Amino acid sequence: MVGTLFAKQLSKSTQPSGDVDLVRLGGLVTSAYEETDRDRRRTDRAIALMIGELEQLNRGLENLVVERTTELRAQNSRFDEALNNMSQGLTMFDAQARLLVCNRRYMEMYRVSAEVAKPGCSLRELLQQRIKAGTFSEDLEEFLPNFMAAIATGKAITNTVELVDGRVIVRAHRPMSHGGWVSTHEDITERWRAEKQVAHMACHDALTDLPNRILFREELETAIKRADRSGEHVAVLYLDLDHFKDVNDSLGHSFGDDLLRAVADRLRACLRASDTVARLGGDEFAVIQSAMDQPQAAATLASRICRSIKAPFEIGVHQVVVDVSIGVSIAPKDGVEPDELLKNADLALYGAKDAGRGTYRFFEPAMDAQVKLRRVVEVDLRNALVNNEFELHYQPIFDLDSATICSYEALIRWHHPERGMILPADFIGICEEIGLIVPIGEWALRTACEQAAEWPENVKVAVNLSANQLAGEHVDLVIISALADSGIAPSRLELEITEAVLLRDSKATIGTLRRIHDLGVHIVLDDFGTGYSALSYLRSFPFDKIKIDRSFVKELQNSKESQAIVTAIASLAKSLGMASTAEGVETPEQLELVRKLGCGEAQGYLFSVPRTAGELSRMMSTLTAGAASAA
Amino acid sequence: MRVRKISWNEPAGWHPSVDRSRADLVFYFGTRRALANGSRYRELAAMFPDAHVVGCSTGGQIHGDDVTDEEITAVALQFDATKVRMISEVVTGTAQSRACGEKIGTRLLADDLSGVMVLSDGLNVNGSELVGGITDVIGPSVPLTGGLAGDGAEFAETLVGADCAPRSHLVVAVGFYGAAIRLGHGSAGGWDVFGPRRRITRSKGNVLFELDGQPALDLYEKYLGDEASGLPGSALLFPLQIYETEQPDHAVVRTVLAIDGDARSMTFAGGVPEQWTAQLMRGNFDRLAARAGEAARQAGAGRIAADGDAVAILVSCIGRRLLMGQRVTEELEAAAAELGPGIERLGFYSYGEIAPHAASGVCELHNQTMTVTVIGETSR
Repeated sequence: MVGTLFAKQLSKSTQPSGDVDLVRLGGLVTSAYEETDRDRRRTDRAIALMIGELEQLNRGLENLVVERTTELRAQNSRFDEALNNMSQGLTMFDAQARLLVCNRRYMEMYRVSAEVAKPGCSLRELLQQRIKAGTFSEDLEEFLPNFMAAIATGKAITNTVELVDGRVIVRAHRPMSHGGWVSTHEDITERWRAEKQVAHMACHDALTDLPNRILFREELETAIKRADRSGEHVAVLYLDLDHFKDVNDSLGHSFGDDLLRAVADRLRACLRASDTVARLGGDEFAVIQSAMDQPQAAATLASRICRSIKAPFEIGVHQVVVDVSIGVSIAPKDGVEPDELLKNADLALYGAKDAGRGTYRFFEPAMDAQVKLRRVVEVDLRNALVNNEFELHYQPIFDLDSATICSYEALIRWHHPERGMILPADFIGICEEIGLIVPIGEWALRTACEQAAEWPENVKVAVNLSANQLAGEHVDLVIISALADSGIAPSRLELEITEAVLLRDSKATIGTLRRIHDLGVHIVLDDFGTGYSALSYLRSFPFDKIKIDRSFVKELQNSKESQAIVTAIASLAKSLGMASTAEGVETPEQLELVRKLGCGEAQGYLFSVPRTAGELSRMMSTLTAGAASAA
Repeated sequence: MRVRKISWNEPAGWHPSVDRSRADLVFYFGTRRALANGSRYRELAAMFPDAHVVGCSTGGQIHGDDVTDEEITAVALQFDATKVRMISEVVTGTAQSRACGEKIGTRLLADDLSGVMVLSDGLNVNGSELVGGITDVIGPSVPLTGGLAGDGAEFAETLVGADCAPRSHLVVAVGFYGAAIRLGHGSAGGWDVFGPRRRITRSKGNVLFELDGQPALDLYEKYLGDEASGLPGSALLFPLQIYETEQPDHAVVRTVLAIDGDARSMTFAGGVPEQWTAQLMRGNFDRLAARAGEAARQAGAGRIAADGDAVAILVSCIGRRLLMGQRVTEELEAAAAELGPGIERLGFYSYGEIAPHAASGVCELHNQTMTVTVIGETSR
């Protein structure tokens, strides 16, 4: 090539004449050498620079390696720190089931030493150590192949195990991309217990620890299904303590709670292990009893419960006697749905209460009809006041000394648009329960006062006052208003109350009664002798009059005891400065007797059935004359 | 096809002289100074009144296996069956390069378009965009060759002539139509990468600002040392190989057209996308020459020459000449050895070469390569 170059240089330096221009040739040759030198220098320089750059890069890389190594160490140390301070136990295994990582928590959790749980240790060796430490109780020969097969599926596995010492651990195993897996172990004992507690609380009554309504319903459903298969019959016993409210009111809620707990204990004691008792709320309990021989088994259990509850409870310094009423329904006869069975047992419970409490009743379809009827009555009652369907009838009370009518007792009647005249016994109880007694009572009071204003000044009017009315806040104001509106003198108004009124918060009741009495209104104790007839009542309040219950008057001719009681009450009244009225006098003989035994007043069909206000004015003169001549 | 090669120099004028001869197409190449006044164009147009006369300024004319700055070299082609269409477009700046290419492609496109040769302004054009614009329209199967005009080592102004006196901001394209035309092409570099791989951290289009966060011009000045005074020409001594970092097999070579000392930036003949990898290159005389031979071999001259007259248009990079000096003739000799006797050879040292990529066949702008286009026509 160099030869070719020189040939070209020579050719370029050769003139057309053939002469060689040596100066030009020399220039070309020199410049060719210079070009070569320049390129050599250029190459040297480029190589030197390149080496410098590469060395610098190299140093940079070395520094980077040092930095990265330091950083990696720091990161590893942080990682170790984090790993060992985890609240979960953690292990990591390679594809050959050899340990790669095991944190401190794991070793503490399963009581495995660091000498054993080191990298390279096999899963089998680790679990063998745990078996020795008592923190693994599964059969290794069965566990290991199953576990490895599960890991091989590539899916995460989570399970919860309870250790022999009672701890509950959640284990999660997650396969890693390069084979092997990572496991976490979390001690959830506390949470597990708390959850169990919450679950228990959600379906148990806090006071008695009995199942609540929710659990009861579930258990009942299960029992019904089971019975369907086994051929057994399921009885539902619906229990309600009689007069529990009175206990609560008089002895306080805390006492009431203690009583409910004691009742729950007795109920438990009455049952077999297979029976269920629950507290449905308040003083209501229910029992599920499955048996082949229903209804006999339920009847036996119900009477056992009644007997058990009837026995006196000793709570603190108090001794208390309560009764229980029980309604029973039986599946499948009375229903196959929990709600239906409960409803029917509840209806039967009403039947038990109507039958005088402290007893039990089985559900009968008629009960359902009664309840339905009662619902209708409730609705009608709410409309009755608005529709002006109530009316007062008056029955005279005779003063036996003067042989004159001294007073008329106002008795309420309901003119039902379809059912005709309804007596108080058939609706006053319902009014009490649904809270209508207060407005109806007020209506009766005002109406009686207005109508009495038409009568002679010496004739009083007697109005019954219920416990609920008396418990109301403004009863005295209502009385003042009724007196003022009608214009009758307070002394012409007699308010009749029963002993039951005094059973409730007697202090407050007596305070109210005193305020009313201070107005000049007479207070009369009605139906005396039927209830507790505690003499302390007579001493606690200066009644103006005692009315002796008709049951004594009815037996007067045949019963020495009745005569003795009437005599005692009449003389007691006399000695306390109170008047006494014999109720239910129907025959001249009875009239004669009550007069002889010391009663100052009498009332009954002998004198007159209750009359309307219109009839009254006509009756007044004839009766007065007739009775006077008879006396 | 008939080929008549002629040349011009100051004392002798055109030789051999021609008087109104028939030809379809004339190519001519000369220095900017020799072409600027338009006289040489007018003389050629007079000698070949029927021909399209196209040419450009250069960084040295290739004349056989020699390089000359003094002579203008030209060739007149007369085809038997091939139709030739010449079109030219003015390009106002590098931003219009692709649009200019698309226009050219659209104007040339026809069912029987068999090949295209392009001569373009070398300083006001983004060559890769121009080529992309043309191939977008004519498709990858039509061979496209040619080059960007040069201006020696001065980088002041380049000229292109298209049936007119040569001027700046012009692109000329010649379309060859019909089945008779035979076009062979080859392209090869021979440069070696050296030094660390660098990341293009800041660039815009064909302007490179930073490599690895450092001004690119700093790096070149450091490597050029004393020769930095010859910038931007001396930057051709160290071409830049660039590739999308994930695709090192699709590397291209970029050559510098201009520098901005204030912005510390360098303008290349093609795009230099950000985040691509760049590595400096340097040339070894023997390897550069050997690869020039390889480019000629790829052009398949022997097959084309067997059918009759053929001409080889050699377009080689100015950088190769700057590096090799007088020994640049070695690459012409290597090409001549592969092309064989009986094929006229002429061409020029350029600011960019256009030819299909040896591996992918997709036409691209190359830098720092020797590209060879052999034109012939089948006699059947």
